[in-house]
Amino acid sequence: MSTDDGTSAGRPVHYVEVDEDLCNGCVLCMKACPMKAIRLRDHVARIEGVCIDCMECARVCPRGAIRGVSSVDVSLGDRSEDAVCPSTVLYSQFGEDFLPNDVLLGLRSMGFRYPFDQAYTAEIYEFAMELFIREQRKSENPPFPLISAVCPAVVQIIAYRFPSLLRHIPPLATPREIVTREAKQRLSAKHGRSPEEIQVLHVVPCPAMMIREADQTNRDRAVGINAVYDELKKSIQEIEEDRVLHYSGGIGLGWGISGGESAGIQAKSIAVSGIHETIRYLERVEMGLLSHIEFLECRICTEGCVGGSFNVADRYQTKQLVQRYVRMFGEERRVKQKYLMKLYREGWFQTERQVLPIRTENIDMTIAERIEQQKRVESILRELPKKHCGMCGSPDCRTFAEDVVAGKARLDNCTQLEHLGGKGVIT
Amino acid sequence: MPLLERRFTIKANDFVKAGEVSIEVQGILKKIGFDPTLVRRVSICAYEAEMNVVMHGGDGEMMLHVEPEEIDLVCSDQGGGIEDIELALLPGYSTARPEHQEMGFGAGMGLPNIKKNASSLDVYSRKGEGTRLIMKFEVGDEH
Ligand SMILES: Nc1ncnc2c1ncn2[C@@H]1O[C@H](COP(=O)(O)OP(=O)(O)O)[C@@H](O)[C@H]1O
Ligand code: SF4
Ligand SMILES: [Mg+2]
Repeated sequence: MSTDDGTSAGRPVHYVEVDEDLCNGCVLCMKACPMKAIRLRDHVARIEGVCIDCMECARVCPRGAIRGVSSVDVSLGDRSEDAVCPSTVLYSQFGEDFLPNDVLLGLRSMGFRYPFDQAYTAEIYEFAMELFIREQRKSENPPFPLISAVCPAVVQIIAYRFPSLLRHIPPLATPREIVTREAKQRLSAKHGRSPEEIQVLHVVPCPAMMIREADQTNRDRAVGINAVYDELKKSIQEIEEDRVLHYSGGIGLGWGISGGESAGIQAKSIAVSGIHETIRYLERVEMGLLSHIEFLECRICTEGCVGGSFNVADRYQTKQLVQRYVRMFGEERRVKQKYLMKLYREGWFQTERQVLPIRTENIDMTIAERIEQQKRVESILRELPKKHCGMCGSPDCRTFAEDVVAGKARLDNCTQLEHLGGKGVIT
Repeated sequence: MPLLERRFTIKANDFVKAGEVSIEVQGILKKIGFDPTLVRRVSICAYEAEMNVVMHGGDGEMMLHVEPEEIDLVCSDQGGGIEDIELALLPGYSTARPEHQEMGFGAGMGLPNIKKNASSLDVYSRKGEGTRLIMKFEVGDEH
């Protein structure tokens, strides 16, 4: 949804769900949420604010009541006609006996006739990114550090909390966008259908990679790695076919771990992983402290996409395996440079993705009114006990004060104020 | 006239907490919904001023005043003060000690950066008597 002033209003779609039967209304998820998106209502956690699908809440839930959901059911759709584009993390889910090519062949024997290798398009992306960075170096006021758009949760955080950093996001297609285009183009030629008619199924490591509303202009779908895991594991063991589906070198295979993307881009770069570190670095970029860095890779999950919550294999074992692949397949890209150079010049790498600031404040209010509102927050906060117990249903006292001012909570929800002898009369 | 005022204390040589005041300032301005570029400029200045107090000054404080048309930051400390203010404002001038340089500070660009990003900057300081920076930002002043 976009509004007149070029921002996006309202809550974006998210792919995290609370199972109300399992939730016992403890405060852990609410406190863990970096976006302060969760509230407790009638002893059940509810995601009410801007959720970026980071899964911090699910990680701390002792009852397993919070889960990521797929945008579609994997049993839906036609496996034989359409493309399947797994995240490179899928390659490292089945132990060291199975190579990336085996995993892609396994998808084929599951009935997905057209698997596409995203490790290869990752290398293509890196080539384009290098050219882009070189161009930026020559420009007057380069938006350094460029911030990778590969982790959708990072893009969401920027749109919501760091809108001034949107100009640091390169306008280039990500490996996933590239593989989608490639798949559509090739299969439309093959089946004699239009590219729009070709459906792409993404197999992704985390709910943030689910396809969002804005991307749903086509018929593409996404499922978690866990949704295909069991069936795929069986079919990998029964592969009979012998053909090459995996084309990348080690560089493209390294993408699953933090630092994998930047390792393949010749630039002054750093790689950060984990939600709190990511936010800390974005804050520093916003203060202008990292302008000597050219490329900043951030991943919401610690250790990178191998830490995604849809993965089945352990993140550190997976990391080990990814590193092994990188050594095995060699630290170089296997792309056709000349051809890509031509595509780059023709603007082929430009993305259609448009990221708008996410605004949740009341846009009908004037700045003066919002300052006034903030003052009321401060004055309520002064009266609150600052124990941050969460029993009011908001994650901490400040957020509770904000909720009261916004009309989303009542002051007498604070269980502590009563103990303070009716001090809670605030105007 | 709605005027929001916040006061934050800054501790000398506390490099663990250093930067937190600016982040809070940034948070408040974002919540109010000022233009992101303006918020960015204010936070850059807040950060540089805060770091100077931590590094060169003594214990101090930052005052934030918010009005619809203007945001002011007043950063003051009871440290050793600045001997030659004009010199201190020159890009590259720094008296940062080696241990600060090891942490990546001391490029001598802090005060020049504030001058560049604020609508106006006044520096009041005397050797031995502390330092006070007054930074003003006009809302709508596209920098
Ligand atoms: N609060 C302060 N107290 C004392 N001296 C200061 C203060 N702020 C700045 N200075 C002096 O001004 C110089 C230049 O400051 P600045 O431009 O921020 O560069 P830097 O902090 O990198 O040295 C400092 O090296 C220091 O000598
Ligand atoms: S997924 Fe992340 S942003 Fe969404 S509710 Fe859970 S903790 Fe908050
Ligand atoms: Mg300085």
